[in-house]
Amino acid sequence: MVTTSDTDTVQVEIVPSRFLTPKTAQHLLEEIYENGGIIRIMIHGPNLPRTVPYGPGRGTPIDENKDLLIRIGDQVLELTVKVGRIRLELEGDQYYTGLKAACERALPFSFQIKKGKFFPDRLTVSGYAKYGRVEDERLLGLTDPKAKKNKLAMLSDQKVTEN
Amino acid sequence: MAYTPQYYPGSTSVGINRRKHMSGNLEKLRDIPEADIVAIMGHRAPGADYPSTHPPLKEMGEPDCPIRQMVEPTPGAAAGDRVRYNQFADSVYFAPAIPYWRSYWAAINCRGCDPGTLSGRQIIEARERDLEAYTKKQMDSEMTDVALCSMRGCTVHGHSLRLEENGLQFDMLARTELGADGNVHYVKDQVGIPLDKKINVGKPMSEAEAKKRTTIFRFDGVPLSGTVGARKPDEALEATHHMWTLRSMWGFRPE
Repeated sequence: MVTTSDTDTVQVEIVPSRFLTPKTAQHLLEEIYENGGIIRIMIHGPNLPRTVPYGPGRGTPIDENKDLLIRIGDQVLELTVKVGRIRLELEGDQYYTGLKAACERALPFSFQIKKGKFFPDRLTVSGYAKYGRVEDERLLGLTDPKAKKNKLAMLSDQKVTEN
Repeated sequence: MAYTPQYYPGSTSVGINRRKHMSGNLEKLRDIPEADIVAIMGHRAPGADYPSTHPPLKEMGEPDCPIRQMVEPTPGAAAGDRVRYNQFADSVYFAPAIPYWRSYWAAINCRGCDPGTLSGRQIIEARERDLEAYTKKQMDSEMTDVALCSMRGCTVHGHSLRLEENGLQFDMLARTELGADGNVHYVKDQVGIPLDKKINVGKPMSEAEAKKRTTIFRFDGVPLSGTVGARKPDEALEATHHMWTLRSMWGFRPE
């Protein structure tokens, strides 16, 4: 189902000056979620592999990267990336000031926040090859069609989908 | 008067630090036990014998060669050690060393080694016991800040990324951690295999200290081209331009 709104949506990018621990990430996401007005949100950052990917130690488990659970609302997600950037789409500009205040409350260091165009409007060729026609356009830009695994966690007031 | 090599131009702190790295005249900041360095490198168990690839040179009966007579072999070469490596990743956030200066340091100051320079990491290959001595020098001296530099044999990703919340360089294999006592500990060797015990490598530098010791020109530290509004390029830039002009127009022939 596509969320429709009478007002223009606003896309926002939040870039903290440091990578976030799961605890800070959870705090930040809770604050963002409480602010409301979220159509979609994407967490971006370097991958946290579960095992050593290369070299003589290949396959050795990395316990530090396991079970990085964060709770947002009544949902629990497992982090697979180090949180370094958050992109989201708001229902309208009226939520922006509250979002900025939420970041100031949650982050103990500086951050950049800016409005812009961060999600694509159309499927790419590789996206079409993988997903076909996408009914819910909120999915556009949330996944990497070339990724080996689906890493999608979508939150909205209407429904929560997790793959 | 004895000749003093002039390694690098520039009067800024970065120029001075670069000269220090190249000359090998580095301040020793910490003393990490040799056994701990060997454990972090992960090539042999601390205390074990050095495996060899050939018999000691004295037993081999070398050919009659004037070069071999002139050049004294390093201890590792004389004993026939294996060639092994260390590799460091240095953060762009004012780490004291950068790959080129680790390589300059190694090429000028370390005998019998092969330094390799890459964009975000630097590798040194040498005979095993020589390499252990060189690695200890690197980790003990001001070339290394334990938060911003770490030994990473593989999966080096992190040098150009933002730092962790606690100030450590990002490492997806989590080889180092900041203890409650404020010291940095290696919990894995350089290829990500867990160590038997945590190795304490000391406290990280403060941000001000790292900026003081860095060899990195940065716009928010010591900029190579001077500050905006008061452009005064460092002598290093002028020297580089001079060299490139000579090289481009006439071929570089310092005479």
